[in-house]
Amino acid sequence: MQRISQLASHLTKTHPKTFLRNFTSKMASNNSNIHLYTVGTPNGIKVSILLEELGLPYKVTPISFSKNEQKEPWFLEINPNGRIPALTDTLPDGTPINLFESGSIMQYLVDRYDTEHKVSYPRGSKEGYEVNNWLHWQMGGLGPMQGQANHFFRYAPEKIQYGIDRYQNETRRLYSVMERQLEKGDYLVGDRATIADFACWGWVAAHHWAGVSLDEFPKLEAWLHRLLERPGVEKGRHVPSPHTAFDMKNKSEEELEKEAEKSKAWVQAGMKADAKK
Amino acid sequence: MTATLNPPKPIRVWLTPPGPNGWKTIFLLEELSLNYVFKSFRFDDVKKPPFIDINPNGRIPAIEDPNTGLTLWESGAINQYLIEQYDTEKRLTFDDVINRNLCNQFLQFQMSGQGPYYGQCGWFQHLHAEKIQSAIDRYSNEIKRVLGVLEIVLSKKGEHEQWLVGDKMTYADMAFVPWNSRLSEVLMQLWDEVFEGTPRVRAWHEKMVELPSWKRAMEHRARLMDEQGLQWNGVPKGIETFTEYEEKIEKGEMKYD
Repeated sequence: MQRISQLASHLTKTHPKTFLRNFTSKMASNNSNIHLYTVGTPNGIKVSILLEELGLPYKVTPISFSKNEQKEPWFLEINPNGRIPALTDTLPDGTPINLFESGSIMQYLVDRYDTEHKVSYPRGSKEGYEVNNWLHWQMGGLGPMQGQANHFFRYAPEKIQYGIDRYQNETRRLYSVMERQLEKGDYLVGDRATIADFACWGWVAAHHWAGVSLDEFPKLEAWLHRLLERPGVEKGRHVPSPHTAFDMKNKSEEELEKEAEKSKAWVQAGMKADAKK
Repeated sequence: MTATLNPPKPIRVWLTPPGPNGWKTIFLLEELSLNYVFKSFRFDDVKKPPFIDINPNGRIPAIEDPNTGLTLWESGAINQYLIEQYDTEKRLTFDDVINRNLCNQFLQFQMSGQGPYYGQCGWFQHLHAEKIQSAIDRYSNEIKRVLGVLEIVLSKKGEHEQWLVGDKMTYADMAFVPWNSRLSEVLMQLWDEVFEGTPRVRAWHEKMVELPSWKRAMEHRARLMDEQGLQWNGVPKGIETFTEYEEKIEKGEMKYD
């Protein structure tokens, strides 16, 4: 644990791309030292949206997928899974903590910093468990399945129609589950936007990239824009780089194809490297 | 060992017997010796009432706890609820901030990294009618990668603390067992091949499947599978493929005595 802390603090000083957010606002007390390692993907912006919603000061180190930085030894020390986001912090007693998996990072942050329950419910409450339910649904369902749709629709070396259909249909099915839930209220759980909403937001915002339309899901589309009106969501979605999901709709399929080409090279190189291990 | 506050009324666990995720919850209930009852039903009815009213996502498992009035679905969220509510002595979790968050982290890794990819691999390997090699390879490689990550995590731990978090088994370790038990089928490899290069993961897994709680869970599974006349892959006896099974469900041709 100490080694990780040293590594992280070493990195803060030396990583050329690290920048600070909200440090002009009131500094969080009790040793808080939040450092987010991220990319502007649906999983990455979940955490920056939450940090902005909570108004917390934090350091950001953008990770470069094209340089395969998420597989470099210093990053694997923080997250052996080699995925983003990852987060380090210091507990009130000075002990360092480092976490990966966006869902668990979000729960840690609200547990510790959202003591007024602006975007969460008290631990052990009915609503608290329901938020956890929807968070797990996003982590185990919406994220992985929409991610597979992206793979087969945008990145796969060969076009497999069954793969495209399978995961686009599953994404649509998952959107319909959200649609039905949002018929009951403005947010997934209760009377407020919570980490369950933030966790899903980046994925739903990127629907066009996965080749899925929101036309059949009016409540979901209204929810997407309702959340976008929140200053925290607006700020957080652009960390560490401008959020482009909404611009995709204005591009031709040829332009989108070009966008995908840029990523294809490193996606496939990464897959090959993993396969060799 | 009674390390728990046992609920006076049985927790109702809704599941279809074949899939691994239901057994993640049963394993935990058995390990904590909690009062529960099966609501076992057929895959045919997963998108129909009454189940769809309990879980709008139409996936198993789901629980109803009459002691608290709570209904939950998503195995990970259910298991965390059971731990918080009933593992009052923290036998399968921790009380301190770091280890509590690490348990959650590894559970989330299981939910997002293990479950979906093993599931997709199993689908392309066994249930999908057409053989698409590149899809099988994609998900097989991902499984090997996940096993490799677990091996790295365990390799950083001492000899007597071969668990994901701290020095004892937690609900996070247990969550990996149902899918890892299927590795041989999912990858279509012998058990020795499955764990090539990941000896710590193998030892960790094999330690857990020896637990009486897991053995009881698997006895229940065998009984419930048999009750519904299911083959090992979840397809009813007398039907060849999963596609055929799905078509029959769609057409309303599945009839039972």
